[in-house]
Amino acid sequence: MKPLDPRLLRYARSARGYLALTVGLGIVTAALVVAQALLLAHALARAAHDGATLASLRPAIGWLAAVVVARASVVAVQERFAHRAATRAVGELRAGVVEHAVALGPRWLATGRGPEVVTLATRGLDALEPYFVRYLPQLVLSATVTPATILVVLGLDWVSAAIVVGTLPLIPIFMVLIGRMTEGRSERGLHAMSRLGSQVLDLLAGLPTLRAFGRQAGPAVRVRALGDAHRRATMGTLRVAFLSGMVLELLTTLSVALVAVSIGLRLVGGGLTLETGLAVLVLAPEVYWPLRQVGAQFHASTDGVAAAEAAFAVLEAPVPAVGTVPCPDLRRATLALTGVTVRSSGGRTPSALDLTVAPGTVTALVGPSGAGKTTTVEVLLGLLRPDEGTASLVVPGAAPVALADLDPATYWPQVAWLPQRPVLEPGSLRALVGPGASDEALASAAALTGLDAVVAGLPAGWDTVLGAGGAGLSVGQRQRVALTRALLSPAPFVVLDEPTAHLDAAGERVVLATVAAMRAADRTVLLVAHRPSLVATADSVVTVTPVEAAAR
Amino acid sequence: MTRERGTLRRAVRLLGLDTRRVLLAVLTGTLALGCAVALAAVSAWLIARASQMPPVLQLSIATVAVRTFGIGRGVLRYVDRLVSHDVALRGMTNLRTTLYTRLAAGRSEATLRVRRGDLLARVGADVDAVGDVVVRGLLPAGVALLLGIGTVTAMAFFWPPAAVALAACLVLAGVVAPLLAARGARASERRAVTARADASAAALAALDDAGPLLVAGGVGRRVAELRDADRRLARAVDAGAASSAVAAGLGILATGLAATAALVTGIPAVVSGALAPVELAVIVLTPLAAFEATGMLPAAAVSVQRSRAAAARILALLDSAAPDAEPRGTAEPPAATSRPPVQFPELSVAIHDPNVRKVNVGEGAGIVARGLDCGWPGLPPVLRGVDLDVAPGRSVAIVGPSGAGKTTLLLTLAGLLPRAGGTLLVDGDEPTVLDPAERAARVVVTAEDAHVFGTTVLENLRVARGDVTPDEATAALTAAGLQDWLAALPDGLDTMLGPDARTVSGGERRRLLLARALLAPAPLLLVDEPAEHLDPATADALVTSLLAGPRTPAGGPRGVVVVTHRLTPLAAADEVLWVESGRIAARGTHAELSAGLLDYGEAVRRERVTADHRERA
Repeated sequence: MKPLDPRLLRYARSARGYLALTVGLGIVTAALVVAQALLLAHALARAAHDGATLASLRPAIGWLAAVVVARASVVAVQERFAHRAATRAVGELRAGVVEHAVALGPRWLATGRGPEVVTLATRGLDALEPYFVRYLPQLVLSATVTPATILVVLGLDWVSAAIVVGTLPLIPIFMVLIGRMTEGRSERGLHAMSRLGSQVLDLLAGLPTLRAFGRQAGPAVRVRALGDAHRRATMGTLRVAFLSGMVLELLTTLSVALVAVSIGLRLVGGGLTLETGLAVLVLAPEVYWPLRQVGAQFHASTDGVAAAEAAFAVLEAPVPAVGTVPCPDLRRATLALTGVTVRSSGGRTPSALDLTVAPGTVTALVGPSGAGKTTTVEVLLGLLRPDEGTASLVVPGAAPVALADLDPATYWPQVAWLPQRPVLEPGSLRALVGPGASDEALASAAALTGLDAVVAGLPAGWDTVLGAGGAGLSVGQRQRVALTRALLSPAPFVVLDEPTAHLDAAGERVVLATVAAMRAADRTVLLVAHRPSLVATADSVVTVTPVEAAAR
Repeated sequence: MTRERGTLRRAVRLLGLDTRRVLLAVLTGTLALGCAVALAAVSAWLIARASQMPPVLQLSIATVAVRTFGIGRGVLRYVDRLVSHDVALRGMTNLRTTLYTRLAAGRSEATLRVRRGDLLARVGADVDAVGDVVVRGLLPAGVALLLGIGTVTAMAFFWPPAAVALAACLVLAGVVAPLLAARGARASERRAVTARADASAAALAALDDAGPLLVAGGVGRRVAELRDADRRLARAVDAGAASSAVAAGLGILATGLAATAALVTGIPAVVSGALAPVELAVIVLTPLAAFEATGMLPAAAVSVQRSRAAAARILALLDSAAPDAEPRGTAEPPAATSRPPVQFPELSVAIHDPNVRKVNVGEGAGIVARGLDCGWPGLPPVLRGVDLDVAPGRSVAIVGPSGAGKTTLLLTLAGLLPRAGGTLLVDGDEPTVLDPAERAARVVVTAEDAHVFGTTVLENLRVARGDVTPDEATAALTAAGLQDWLAALPDGLDTMLGPDARTVSGGERRRLLLARALLAPAPLLLVDEPAEHLDPATADALVTSLLAGPRTPAGGPRGVVVVTHRLTPLAAADEVLWVESGRIAARGTHAELSAGLLDYGEAVRRERVTADHRERA
């Protein structure tokens, strides 16, 4: 894990300016730290040793005050832009990850990476904020202030510089040693902690069930016992985890103490002036300060670094090449799957499927849940390439074209797809259902799908504005909206994935009528169906059979 | 703001912190940072004194002290971190236990809501956040206060004016800067909440529906929404950035000012002889180390600010479960409630259908509902005017479209939701006023979303009754149609199930819940959709056996109410209730409804077609 991954600057453009600013401010800070120490030592030594008056020291003290104000301003400027840069960089990465993940397609998202990307895009990347705001500036300071102060100390007193340079490498060495030593133990501890924590949550989640059986009182003792066990496990882990912090603090404070003692003894011998001694004394803690902060912020930054690496992994996953063959008119073309198999965690779903969807026909896909019906739809739509077999488009008198070679921009506009969970864009109902459709067309389609009753119950009728995902409508109502949209869409190929789900008997009649209307309009319909009434309307029925993982 | 402060104080009080341990933590923290201050002071004295070239022996105490303080700081800080985390973890255990106990004893609909909402997922994190207030807020503030007082007092012994300046600077860094930081965080957070939620929602929408969006051409719009939300988030963060920036600068400014002020006030004193030159070095250099404690406070204020929302959620959860709104049987006898017991003319005779089997199990036995309205508190009733009699030995099925209120009815009958109107008696008492254990001894409900605990199969079944033997458990699993599943389990009844039973399928889960319900000693059993996720043949067999004369584990007659979507097996029910449009639309035997009710008949026929279709296939 690199402390600063160059990919971060590549994918999050806001981070570049911020890093430049941070480096600039880091250099200024180094200069100010040195100036403050030298001015303070000068004024103090002149007053304490030479008995100088306030009037004679006024310029030095004036400069000291100016340096103090400048240091405060630098910190304020850093803080002012750190949060902004963090938010912008997180936003850029988030948009990039979402855009790229969607381009990678639903299958990529379904292969176990989906939940990870969702977590990353919703909460995970927010962990980059402490990285940008706290960790990165200290990292830069440890690269500017630490060397600058060491050089100045070297110029002032080589013995002190030797002590500092001698102890400095001990810090990373001890940190690594302790890290190695504690690694296994912390992981075991973390595992025990999360297990105990989830047991308490399990009891809380089961509380309604315990109440239903009148057995809710007993587990309170168990919640306490689990809490105590949790505490003991956590403390066990922390006792080890805090060791690295202690070693860091011991090394830094002890070496400052050593520097102080060595300066004191040499002052007695007259080998050093008071001003030099004081300057080195003030500078010595500043050498270690950024390093201590990097150590302190390290844990806060690891989540952010991990999130960034996960984001890079998504962004660097290659997007499959998009087809370029223009799609022929689907009113004359037949979709054909031959021996199609898609491998998934559930086995081969579907397994060796043959399917022909001829123009103007109604085809039903049936089969147990998990057999790969929706996967088959995704293959047909070119969202997914089969692991075995071919998926192609056949036009009479022309060579078949593989679906994956089709240009999606010419294929997808010819498709109206109603997925299991209808996707409704926010906006007015009219714009959603049939942009450009006449009132009569809307009314007759809505009468067929039963949407008219829904519209009648809405405050602004067709002009009602729905929220994201059709917020404000029930699942069944959303289903009717989506059905009406599919009915009104001019696309010649209609895919209805379980259109009767969430609908009662009356809703089922509506779907049957809608399919009949689509058939009458010579549209090609592919139904994923469970209910026999729906299956009975199809011209052909294809059963999707999986080969389950265990049976292989 | 005052209310918000109260929120945090109430939540911290719930941690039940041990005062002695808190004091110990503050003390070790103060000593650890005090070592750093002392190290600076002694080093300054050592160097200033050494420059006067005294005999080396005079410096030996100082050189030892410097090293001691150097070691002491590291060791004490380590102890301090352990003690303060221990305090916080003990508090979090107390809070979790309190949360559990109060929810367990409180109003049941509150816990039902927790299960349904996303509250539960947050409870764990919220408890951690309140515990965080102790480690990051309370203890550092205590340490900063004690250390500040100590340092200023020590400084006053050398030179009071410098002490006054130091005190003022400590207030600047330890009070003003944290207040500003908290204000900045609050300003950002208030504006950022919506933008953050919008960004999450847009990202989620794009990722969840990637395929449909690609095909329908809606990806660009979603990504634009996401970018827009992120831009608003950036603006919200900017809104608080000025305060945060000033807060961060103040800390550095205060340190420098304290040292400069000591110089300005100290130099004339050295000239006039009121202050020794060596002491000047001490009062000028000590402030440089005195601001470590206050330096942590702005971040502490921000994290406390963020914990406030978590504290508010926990308190809201506890308040919603507060039992004051619900009379409890243990507190007052049922006779003392405001609702007088209602006399029913025909206690165990069904009202609409005189042909039902009449089971004589004694007067008042079973569920008796008259004009019962059901709904969630605070919402209009979803189902009104339910008349129902379920005596032990009688079986009733409830069917109807989804969303008609069937589950709400079951929860109300079981006394887990207060009734919205009408009367309801279980064995002669109102179920909601009964002691929970007594209520569960009479009637038990298994909800659709009942919990499968992360423990063994046997322990999961023992939720119904603590003394279930392995043989009884096997029998119940067999009765629920799980004998093959049980046989395939690696450790049989001792197999561990994942939290919320991720390792069992939907159908297995339902049957496991049914087996658990069958083991409950209560003579009245209410079951919600036991056959969901099962193939029709298995489902029908299961519901039929459940409706046809079940017995309690002790062998007595049992009354059952089953909510189901399969109609074919309902021939075994004594009565079928068709729920639609917020009322009992029709009731009777399966045969009567099949013949008399159009929708019911059609639905039964459709199920039959499915069965035929399957046979053909």
